[in-house]
Amino acid sequence: MAEAPVLTDPFTEAAERLKTLTKVMSTKAAIGQTPKELVWTLNKAKLYRYTPVLPQEQRHPVPVVLVFALMNRPYILDLRPGHSFVEYMVNKGYDLYLLDWGAPGPEDKNLTFDDYTLDYMPRAIRKLKATFGVEEFSLLGWCIGAILTTIYAALRGDEDGLRNLILLTAPLDFSDKQNLTFARWTDERYFDVDKVLATFGNMPGEMIDYGAKALKPVENYVGNYVKLWDNIDDPRMVESWHAMNTWVTDNVPLAGGAFRQLIVDLYRKDKLMRGELMIRGQRVDLSRIHANLLTVIAEDDHITPSCQSEPIMAEVVTSESWRAAEPASSPGRTSMAGWHLVPSKDQSSLTCGIRR
Amino acid sequence: MAEDPVHDGKRFDPMEPWKGVRDIYLDAWGKTMVDMVNSEAYAQATGAVLDTYLTVSAPFREAVEKAMLKTLEQLAMPSRADVVSIAGRMTNIEMRLDDLDAKLDGIQRLIVQAGTAPLAEPRPAHQRSKPPASKKTSSAKKAKRGKK
Repeated sequence: MAEAPVLTDPFTEAAERLKTLTKVMSTKAAIGQTPKELVWTLNKAKLYRYTPVLPQEQRHPVPVVLVFALMNRPYILDLRPGHSFVEYMVNKGYDLYLLDWGAPGPEDKNLTFDDYTLDYMPRAIRKLKATFGVEEFSLLGWCIGAILTTIYAALRGDEDGLRNLILLTAPLDFSDKQNLTFARWTDERYFDVDKVLATFGNMPGEMIDYGAKALKPVENYVGNYVKLWDNIDDPRMVESWHAMNTWVTDNVPLAGGAFRQLIVDLYRKDKLMRGELMIRGQRVDLSRIHANLLTVIAEDDHITPSCQSEPIMAEVVTSESWRAAEPASSPGRTSMAGWHLVPSKDQSSLTCGIRR
Repeated sequence: MAEDPVHDGKRFDPMEPWKGVRDIYLDAWGKTMVDMVNSEAYAQATGAVLDTYLTVSAPFREAVEKAMLKTLEQLAMPSRADVVSIAGRMTNIEMRLDDLDAKLDGIQRLIVQAGTAPLAEPRPAHQRSKPPASKKTSSAKKAKRGKK
């Protein structure tokens, strides 16, 4: 006669798995735990300084300001202890700041790239420099944050003391329409941007989330959960999935004015790379970027393919040629195509990462 | 008696072959869907669906907005437009304050550069100088004495 535990064991296991599944699907993980203090605030935007862990004399003298995308929460950079870019940089002695744009409300529907790059960013940088007595700084922009930092670098970089510009998966070139699914979806024949914004004011976070997930619908809507179920007995994997899911499902709207610029001026007309983008009457000339430039491109990025990030090299670099570093070989970094190290026009030697 | 078959420290999973088939199927389905969402037809279809939704829902949204506006008016409560207007004014005030802060920082920097004051470290409240009102009082007293 079969013993009872042999029969009940699979049921107990299944119950435990369901319990874990319910927990990760219905709760939010603890994210963004690196200590930080508020330095400056304007409207919804906030500038934070991450609390240094090394003494002043051991820290790098040039602070790094992280500028995140407008339509996601920035805590992906500080996801969880041990798996945090912020924590890593702080431990390496970088004086690290985060410019968090917050979530725009109905009153912010007219905010444009002009406001973000010529009102918010210069004010935040001014406060940083005045408060901490520095003259130079580095900017790291991710996704739309990289668009903002690029525009800012071209318009205000020299004036404000921008020393290093780091772009992470920067969507700057929109000329290759065949490789840009978003460009196809937002083509003026199919997508009426004015009607959408007249209805919603700001572009709703849910619609942006749908757009991002619909690029790979099976992976995002099915495969992601299948992967969780397959690894549900592995607490480390579950913790990682939980944290990532918390970020992925926490969307913020994109200010209407900025969304219109993104679609009309960039996706449809590719004005930035053509040198036709006007920000408060000033033409954004990428050749005016004199800061050292490091652009990080992910090889298989389906949201920002490499064809969008690479062409800035030709605009910014003149005599010296840029080179791609060896692709990272560790299994956890296989998606990173290379670290493109670019010397600025004024630098005679290749600049590797951020100079001390 | 039934025993759990164990191979290389892992228990035998009867679902393992099925998982392989499932993964192959998901992979093929995923590639088909990526091709589909990349097509002009998909872009056209989603555009049409969105446009229809926006057009059909517009009268309902307008009706709800009007009803809400009247209700708020009856209850003497501010409407969304009122709150938005106040929020805009608040942001303008914040910008003015930020401008003043920039000017103060500039003045402080000039003072420090001129060497007329030590680096501005926030001092505890009990060490701060007395407010200008007391100086006015003392000068007033002097003036009175002079008159006498």
